[in-house]
Amino acid sequence: MNLTTKISVVTLIAAGIAIAQAPAGPAQSRTLAPGESPASLPPPKTVTQQTYPAEQVQAGEGRFTSQCGFCHGRDAAGGETGPDLTRSALVAQDTRGDKIGPLLKTGRPDRGMPSFDLTTAEVGALVAFIHAQKTKFETLGGGRRAVDVTDLATGKADAGRRYFNRKGSCAGCHSPTGDLAGIASRYRGLQLLQRMLYPSGQPAPAPPKVTFTLPEGRTVIAPLAIQDEFTISVLDPAGARQTYARSAVKFKINDPMSAHFDQLGKYTDKDMHDVYAYLETLK
Amino acid sequence: MRLLPSLGIGFGFCVAALAQGVNGVDPKDLLHPPPDSWLTYHGDYSGRRHTSLTEITPENVGQLKQVWRFQTGRNPSIKATPILVNGILYITTPDNLWAIDARTAKELWHYEHPKNDAFHIGHRGAAVYKDTVYLTTPDCHLVALNAKDGTVKWNIVIADSSKGYWSSNAPLIVGNHVLVGISGDFDNLPGQLKSIDADTGKTQWIFYTTPPPGGTEPESGGATGGQMWMTGTYDPLLNLVYVGSGNPTPVLNGKVRPGDNPWTCSIIALNPDTGKLVWGFQVSPHDTHDWDASEVPVLVDADFNGEPRKLLLQASRNGYFFVLDRTNGKNLLTAPYATVNWAKGIDTTGRPIPNPAKEPSKDGVLIAPNESGATNYRSPSFDPKTGMLIVSVQDGYGIYFFKPEHGTYGWAGADYGVAGRAFLRAIDYKTGKTIWDHPIGDGAGTAGVLTTDTGVTFSGDVPGNLMAFRTSDGATLWHAAIGKVGNGPITYRLDGKQYLVVGGGSSLYAFALP
Repeated sequence: MNLTTKISVVTLIAAGIAIAQAPAGPAQSRTLAPGESPASLPPPKTVTQQTYPAEQVQAGEGRFTSQCGFCHGRDAAGGETGPDLTRSALVAQDTRGDKIGPLLKTGRPDRGMPSFDLTTAEVGALVAFIHAQKTKFETLGGGRRAVDVTDLATGKADAGRRYFNRKGSCAGCHSPTGDLAGIASRYRGLQLLQRMLYPSGQPAPAPPKVTFTLPEGRTVIAPLAIQDEFTISVLDPAGARQTYARSAVKFKINDPMSAHFDQLGKYTDKDMHDVYAYLETLK
Repeated sequence: MRLLPSLGIGFGFCVAALAQGVNGVDPKDLLHPPPDSWLTYHGDYSGRRHTSLTEITPENVGQLKQVWRFQTGRNPSIKATPILVNGILYITTPDNLWAIDARTAKELWHYEHPKNDAFHIGHRGAAVYKDTVYLTTPDCHLVALNAKDGTVKWNIVIADSSKGYWSSNAPLIVGNHVLVGISGDFDNLPGQLKSIDADTGKTQWIFYTTPPPGGTEPESGGATGGQMWMTGTYDPLLNLVYVGSGNPTPVLNGKVRPGDNPWTCSIIALNPDTGKLVWGFQVSPHDTHDWDASEVPVLVDADFNGEPRKLLLQASRNGYFFVLDRTNGKNLLTAPYATVNWAKGIDTTGRPIPNPAKEPSKDGVLIAPNESGATNYRSPSFDPKTGMLIVSVQDGYGIYFFKPEHGTYGWAGADYGVAGRAFLRAIDYKTGKTIWDHPIGDGAGTAGVLTTDTGVTFSGDVPGNLMAFRTSDGATLWHAAIGKVGNGPITYRLDGKQYLVVGGGSSLYAFALP
């Protein structure tokens, strides 16, 4: 990140105009509300069946071990910080590296995945290994570190509903007939539990909203892109990042995630399983 | 040997430096490292990462300017602490070591280890003894290089990487012992620390935290693991090496390894000449959450309860801060310094008591901290003036699962980080209480910490700034957007000027006052 040195601080007025021109809807629809995408049921099935020569898979295994294994596990079924690739929606949709290849090139810096400088043959070998592992785990009936939907069915939906409405104060922001209607049809099992605890993953939850107060008192709202102690970046209507020195603008950030984070310190394990059971009823 | 023009450099040091030869480190210098150097991973044996240099102050730190930038030209980011010996910097990434002229940032030589398929997660740095530079490699070799030109003196295998071992370790040099640690908790492997003869490459001793293959010692309760992958510290007067050990394996399945599983997740004191255990203190008995106790055991001589003591401090990955008497391993203080929910109390010997209800379960348990821990490899710093240990902390939560189908090998379970918040946190060594807390972003930080006698603290934030803080209250004094700082910044004086050198992304940067 090199925001402070790369991007000069645009004047507040220019910013105000740029953002003010944005109809509220389109500015936010770029980052889409939860639930716009179809459900991805774990583990997603490979869309286009594909096979690879054994020696390519073997070459990929070595490379995967050395460059990917620490985060994704040596068997690609998840590791210290990286997700289980045998249950990844992207891998399921990949055909001969058309999705995995570009991702390796760019990485996912926002989620800690570095970019990789690999030859076509090296990418091909990695792709072969990942697909081979996925096929293997599908045949085995789930990854060995898998968490199945039935594993999570220990809570009581009634108690979960009470917690949702009272102690948990979830109802202050969410509604079973509004944003959460059909949530259990869109997400299941571990994915539903993870999104309940702290929304993340795909589709990405709506980013926090930044409300700028312009010198004349007018306010402008824009979705947050990234921030640090010195700068704040928001998305303009064209989807480009606009970066400001924090000291040069007056703003407030409304981050609904902070309530989710605080709640993590309040749940008992029973509460967590109960609320999950309640959400499971919202099909 | 370059003659150093600065008046600030005393006659005594010049004599000592001349005695070292062209590139070398006299092992005796490691006991009192001169300010014109950063001779070891931690800068000195204490692990305090605190400098007595006083040119950079809270008042002038805002004027720091970049002097040079060295680009490795490779993808992997720098997670190593550089070493400075006689004007030459040594910096590493997995399989790679560069010798750089500290005045010009020109590459003097580069060693690249043959390609291999072991884990390339990161590398912590080199070590220097006399005119030899040592590099551990992902495939568990220890390579001794000629400091002059990078040619290989010898190259030995320290563990079998095909079994699942790898090494990212910056060796610790004590006398003629090169102490090297190894990693590997995806397989059920015993943890080992090896002492290698600095001159010949011969193995002097091996210390196992859990029984070696074929061993019959029952103490570990069936656990393997306990890898010692971080660089330890050393007290020359007591002649004790202190090192933290990693988690037991299988990692999340605690049922098949009943009991406390010593010496996993422990602070261990060893005699460096024999490799014999002198004492051990287990910070996480029967760990089921991957909380290595590998964090730096920081050595401090200070008052505790009104008495001058030889102390050892550790802010451990499990979220607890420990103060031990380092002469005998007796606990003086145990206190949480981050969000924790896994223990039901502290036992009479100062160890947290794991709550069985917080062991990984079939339907999942919500645990604080998460797997990456309340802190991790990123080195803390102790500021003697304020008595604060300054730590890069994460307050975070994870969900942990285990069912019998997950088996008994390697990870044997599943866990997922939920969310975390990162802080630079100043901990009072006498109480474990937080003196100040500076948010540095979401998730976990990656930067180590350096403090100066003048009251400046250097570290980095999550988005990618190198930052300077006022040590007394944690206020921000300066920053530079150099990318993610992957380990601890270092400082030294060269030609009479104080430099700050730090890795950001895959580059090494030097800063100084104009």
